[in-house]
Amino acid sequence: MSGLADSPSVQIVPADEGAARAPVRRRRRWPPTLRFDPMATLFIAPAIVIVFLVSIYPVFDAAVLSLHRTAYAQKVAFVGLDNFVALFSARGFWNSAVNALIFTTGSLVLVVPLSLGLALLLDRNVPFRSVTRTVVVLPWVMSQTVVALLWAWLLNGDFGPLTFLAEQMLGHRPAFLSDPTSAMASLVVVNVWASYPQATLLLLAAVQTIPQELYESAEVDGAGWRARLVHITLPMIKPTFLVVLIQLTLLYFNMVTLIYTLTGGGPLGGTETLAVGVMKTSFEDWNLGRGAALGLIITAVNLLISLVYVKTLRPAGK
Amino acid sequence: MAASDRRPRYGLLLISVLACLFAAAPIVWGVLTALKPAAEVVSYPPNLMPSRFTLESFRQVWSDSNFPTYFRNSLLVTGIATLTSLVVAVHAAYGLARFDFTGKTSLMLGLLATSMIPGIAILVPLYNLSIHTGLYNTFTGLVIVYTAWNIPLLVWLLKGFFESVPVELEEAAMIDGCSRMRAFYTIVLPMARPGMLAGAIMAMMFVWNDFLIGFTLAVTEDKRLIPYGLYSFISNIGVDWGQLMAATVISLVPVVIAFLLLQKWLVQGLMAGAVKG
Repeated sequence: MSGLADSPSVQIVPADEGAARAPVRRRRRWPPTLRFDPMATLFIAPAIVIVFLVSIYPVFDAAVLSLHRTAYAQKVAFVGLDNFVALFSARGFWNSAVNALIFTTGSLVLVVPLSLGLALLLDRNVPFRSVTRTVVVLPWVMSQTVVALLWAWLLNGDFGPLTFLAEQMLGHRPAFLSDPTSAMASLVVVNVWASYPQATLLLLAAVQTIPQELYESAEVDGAGWRARLVHITLPMIKPTFLVVLIQLTLLYFNMVTLIYTLTGGGPLGGTETLAVGVMKTSFEDWNLGRGAALGLIITAVNLLISLVYVKTLRPAGK
Repeated sequence: MAASDRRPRYGLLLISVLACLFAAAPIVWGVLTALKPAAEVVSYPPNLMPSRFTLESFRQVWSDSNFPTYFRNSLLVTGIATLTSLVVAVHAAYGLARFDFTGKTSLMLGLLATSMIPGIAILVPLYNLSIHTGLYNTFTGLVIVYTAWNIPLLVWLLKGFFESVPVELEEAAMIDGCSRMRAFYTIVLPMARPGMLAGAIMAMMFVWNDFLIGFTLAVTEDKRLIPYGLYSFISNIGVDWGQLMAATVISLVPVVIAFLLLQKWLVQGLMAGAVKG
C-alpha cells in the first residue's frame, strides 16, 4: 500500500521541486538532504499543533508541577523531589501498587483464555453464528461508567439479582462491594465483562487469516484438535496475541473510570490502584503536585510495558 | 477450521448460548429494571419480569432530573468534537499519505506514541492548563482535548484509506488544470468516504463514552456530560434505580446504533490504536 506513494513513477511532485528531489531508494547520506514541502506542512500542521498542545506539552507541565508544592491550581513552592519521596514512603502508594498488580494480572488471567476460546468458537460453523458474534461483542459499546452502573445494580446488596442468587447458594447474604477482598474480586469480574470483546475481536480476526490447508494437512497427518491448537493456531496468531496482551495490560493498569465509578477505590482502599490514586490525590485531596508526580510514575511504568512489547514483537517479524 | 467443520456442531451451540447469556444478561436486567413499576424495582427477592411494562421511569428521568441537559450537552460536544477531529485528521492523513518529506516516519511514530500517553497521567496538567487559559468548564476546552485525543487513531486509519485511492486520479485532474486542493476536496475525499464514516463513528463513540475529561473539565450542572451525569445520580443519596437504568438505556441508544453501523470496521480501528482512559 505505502509503496504506491513512495514509488517515483506515481509520486506527485510540485513542479518547482521535482528536479531537486533525491532518488527514492537512498541510504543515509551525509550531509543529509532536508526535504521540505510547504503544501504538506499546510495539511499536517493543525494536527501536530493540537496534539502537541494537548498531549505532549502537558507531560512537561506535569513534570514541572510534580516538583512543586501546590495549593489548588497554583504552584506555591519548589520542593524538588519531595512529592516523589512522599509518595514512595507512604503506605498507601504500595497498597495501590499491589492492588494495580492484582487487578491487572487477575483480569488478564481471566480475559486472555476467555477471549481466545470465544475467538475459536466464533471462527467455527456454529448455528446462528452472526447473531452470536453481534451479541458477544455487545459489552464493547458500553462506556465504563455504564458498565459500573449496570453491575452496581446487579451486585446491589439490597435488591441485586446476583446478591439473591449468591444468597440461595451460600445460605447467607454476601456483601459484594462492601468488603475489600470481595470488592476486588467483583471488580475483576466486571472488568472481564467490560473488556473481553475487544480482545475477542482482534483474536478472531487473526484466527480467520490462518489458511485452511494447514489444518487439513495436519488432520491428514493425524493431528488432534489439541495438536492443531498448539502447533498451528497459537504460533500463527502470535503477533496479534502479543498486541492484545499489551493493549490489555496497559488498559487495565491505566484504568480509572470503571474502578472510580463502581467502588471509588474503596472500601478501605481495597480497590484503589495507582491510576485511581491520581484521581483521589488530585481531585479529592486537591494535591495537584503529588497527583502529577503519581501520573509521571504511571507514565514511566507504561513506557516500561511498551518497551517489553517492542522487544518481544521484533523477533516475530512484525 | 478443519474439513469436517462444514457441518454445524450442535455441542458448540450450547457454549454459544452461554456466551451470549453472559454478554447480554446485565444489559437485559438493566432494561427490564427501567421498564418496571417503581415498587417492583425495589422488591426482594427480585423478579426478572415486571408484572406490567411501564415507561414511567423514562418519563420521570426526562422531566424531573437534569438528564435532558446532560444529554443535550453530550450531543453538542460529541457532534462538534467529532467534526473537528475529522476535519483536522483528514488533512493530516492526506499530507502523510501523499507527500514525502524529511522526518515523515518519525512524525508518524511520534503521533502514534502520543496515543500511548495514559490519559490519567496528563489529566492533572490539563486541569491546570484549562484553569490558566480560561477554558475550564467550557465546551471549547472539552472539544479541544477530545479532538487531540482522537487525532492519532483517525490519522492512522484514514492514511490507509487515502493510500488505497489511486494516485493517477489526482494526477489526471491536476494535468487538466485542477489545483492540488481542489483535487483533494473533489476527488480524493469522496473516495475515502467509507474511511471517514468509520473514523467519525469511532471518534463519536469515544467522546460519548468518556468520563475522565468531562469529570475533570466540565463540572457545573449546566455543562455536565452524560457519563458524569450518570455518576452524579449514583453518588446521590437515595438513588432511584428505575430512573437510573432508564437514563442508562437512553444513553446507550446512540452508541448501539453507531456500533451496528461500525461492526465492519471495528477490528481495523482496534488494531490502529490503543484506547485511552
